Amino acid sequence: MIKLINLTKVYRGLRAVDGINLEIEKGHIFGFLGPNGAGKTTTIKMMAGVLSPTEGQIIINDMDLVKDPSGVKQCVGFIPDRPFVYEKLAGKEFLRFIAGLYHLDHTASLNHRISELLELFELGQWGEELIESYSHGMKQRLVMCAALLHEPEVLIVDEPMVGLDPKGARLVKNIFKDQAVKGTTVFMSTHSLDVAAEVCDEIAIIQGGHIIARGTAAALRRQAGVGGNLEQIFLKLTEGKGLANARPLSSH
Amino acid sequence: MGGLGLFFCLGLFIVSCRVLIHFQSAEVIGDLLARHLLSMIFLTFFSLLIFSHIITALSNLYISKDLELCHSTPVVLEEVFISRAVYTLMDSSWMLIIFGLPIFMAYAYVYGAGPGFYFTLLHMSLSMAMIAGGIGILITMVLVYVFPAHRTRDIIMLLSVVMLVGLYFLFRFLRPERLVDPDAYFTIMQYMSALKMPQSPYIPTQWISDTLWAVLTGKGGEDYLFYIMLTWTTAGAIAVISVWVARAIYFEGFSKSQEAKKRRAGGKRALDLLVELIKKPFGVDLGAIIAKDIRTFFRDNTQWSQLLLLGALVVVYVYNFSVLPLDKSPIRLDFLQNELAFLNMGLAGFVLAAVSARFVFPAVSAEGEAYWIVRSSPLRLKRYLWGKYLFFLAPMLILAEVLIIGTNYMLEVTRFMMFLSSITMFFMVFGILALGIGFGALYPNFKYENIAQVATGFGGVLYMIVSSIFIGAVIVLEAGPVYILFMANLRGNTISLFQWLFIIVSFSAVLVINITAIFKPIKMGLKALREYE
Repeated sequence: MIKLINLTKVYRGLRAVDGINLEIEKGHIFGFLGPNGAGKTTTIKMMAGVLSPTEGQIIINDMDLVKDPSGVKQCVGFIPDRPFVYEKLAGKEFLRFIAGLYHLDHTASLNHRISELLELFELGQWGEELIESYSHGMKQRLVMCAALLHEPEVLIVDEPMVGLDPKGARLVKNIFKDQAVKGTTVFMSTHSLDVAAEVCDEIAIIQGGHIIARGTAAALRRQAGVGGNLEQIFLKLTEGKGLANARPLSSH
Repeated sequence: MGGLGLFFCLGLFIVSCRVLIHFQSAEVIGDLLARHLLSMIFLTFFSLLIFSHIITALSNLYISKDLELCHSTPVVLEEVFISRAVYTLMDSSWMLIIFGLPIFMAYAYVYGAGPGFYFTLLHMSLSMAMIAGGIGILITMVLVYVFPAHRTRDIIMLLSVVMLVGLYFLFRFLRPERLVDPDAYFTIMQYMSALKMPQSPYIPTQWISDTLWAVLTGKGGEDYLFYIMLTWTTAGAIAVISVWVARAIYFEGFSKSQEAKKRRAGGKRALDLLVELIKKPFGVDLGAIIAKDIRTFFRDNTQWSQLLLLGALVVVYVYNFSVLPLDKSPIRLDFLQNELAFLNMGLAGFVLAAVSARFVFPAVSAEGEAYWIVRSSPLRLKRYLWGKYLFFLAPMLILAEVLIIGTNYMLEVTRFMMFLSSITMFFMVFGILALGIGFGALYPNFKYENIAQVATGFGGVLYMIVSSIFIGAVIVLEAGPVYILFMANLRGNTISLFQWLFIIVSFSAVLVINITAIFKPIKMGLKALREYE
């Protein structure tokens, strides 16, 4: 379970995240939507323990992230928007390195789990290759392997579909659904409204650091007072009418 | 921090002034020594500038992430090259200006230079940087063109060997040991003519130092206008040749460097054994960090090749002591040996600080943009920093003791000095290392393009300054008590109560400085890392 209480982040006078309150049930997939610069990545980085909040609390599995960072991080898997990894390690070496950070023993079962995850993310043949030779999408899938390695109870994901081909995107959506069925809570920010509509049990829309709407797709539709798909609801709620009526540039 | 830099420059200025005034006190050869020293300084700076340009040009002309964008725009190739070359010139030269300025100002002060000296210094330094920069950039362009991109390891290997050979020749060329040994010459005339002899009329630094000397003293260089023209035409020619060569081979080299690399992890079994051996005492999480660091170090050509330089540094350092003509000195041998042992502690400390600047200071930055992995993991930052510290401790202690015991053995110092030096160096390593880790965490650079550049940034320079002050403070504090003990032993005097008090206070101050140097920087670095955004 995830609980954000009055979560705030101020950067040089700018309130990037401004008093967010959220509660997400165990086993749910929660979609976090918003326009560029709305505060999605800042919120996610605070939840992953990469950034310190200016105010407020992050409670994960009844543990306060500020008071017990190691305890919280032990049960969280984090997938950032850009897959920066150690390029001079081979895929398997990288996963063993992650296992060490999470205190997983180097046993036969760990090796089995690593091979299993690499196969799941279609990286089985690349385990012995240096990561510097991986494509962007492969690195993204490797980071997902790393996040799932210690079987986290909470998965925090920032823009998971960036750089993935359609097959990879389908794979990731299925994996998130499977994880949720197994009881993992997934907190996911995305620009892809189709993905949010397809996999999320609940959605929140953030703008200017505030949560401006929250609920299931049907509840958001009611709140926005429009019918149609999630894109129309999103544009209505974030007042992106200009974008809705946008025309292509005229050619010379 | 600016004040600290100023303090360092002031210190360098004072030391340089003292050396030059000391030279002046020696009739006839004083000026010759000062002139020879000037040309040695220029030759050293010139060599360092060339190597620094090779490393920086590799990044700025071939690896930089913004180059793809630059080459995709309609800007002509020569303009892209010139802008990157100028940037490389500035990037590689600024640190030498900081270190060189106090020395040249000392020359100006001691010899009462007029405005002409400052003007000549300014434009001749610029021309020297242009010549060294041009040579460095040309070497880089040719190497990248000749070797396929996936063989960058060979390029760096070759660069390291070139640097080693260069260092060796530079060292043999200068023959510093002969300067302090007039007996090596049959007559004083031979000694003077050896000093007068230019290192080579074909080396630009000789033209530059001769010109500056002529402007400084108003003698000894009638040809200096010719040398000014020679230097500037050489700088101009090298700039033009660089652009020609760039037009011919730069883009092809850049294109090669973009080719995708696909290779298996090499030397895996040997590396696995090494990793298993080293990480054992560190626990699972720190062991993982150390295993990752070792693998990355040995697979990153820009990192492991620095070990060769470290080897060269140690060899040259120890060699210096083996050729010192101690028995020919007019000063009492035991006195001189102990004085040199003190100087040796300072030098060895400085060597350790330089090694630490290259390997320890970048240890935190080495995480690069993957730092989020450490930050989002359950590993506590405090444990992470102390883990890095402990990892470097054993190799640094071994290096320190090898340097100090080896050189003291050659100096044949007293048992007391051997003991004091070894113990002082032993404890100094703890401080030098903590300063390296602490400052590295205080000024992290996770977005570097070449890790070799991390140490040359603001934080790295600041680290060198602070660790030099730390080493200096420890040695100065120990010098007084040791002198008292030494003289008492020599003359058979008893040590007074006041002197004992002085000895106790001095050694206590050394202890306090050491403890502060160990804990304070790591604490500051930890706070900075926690607040890093």
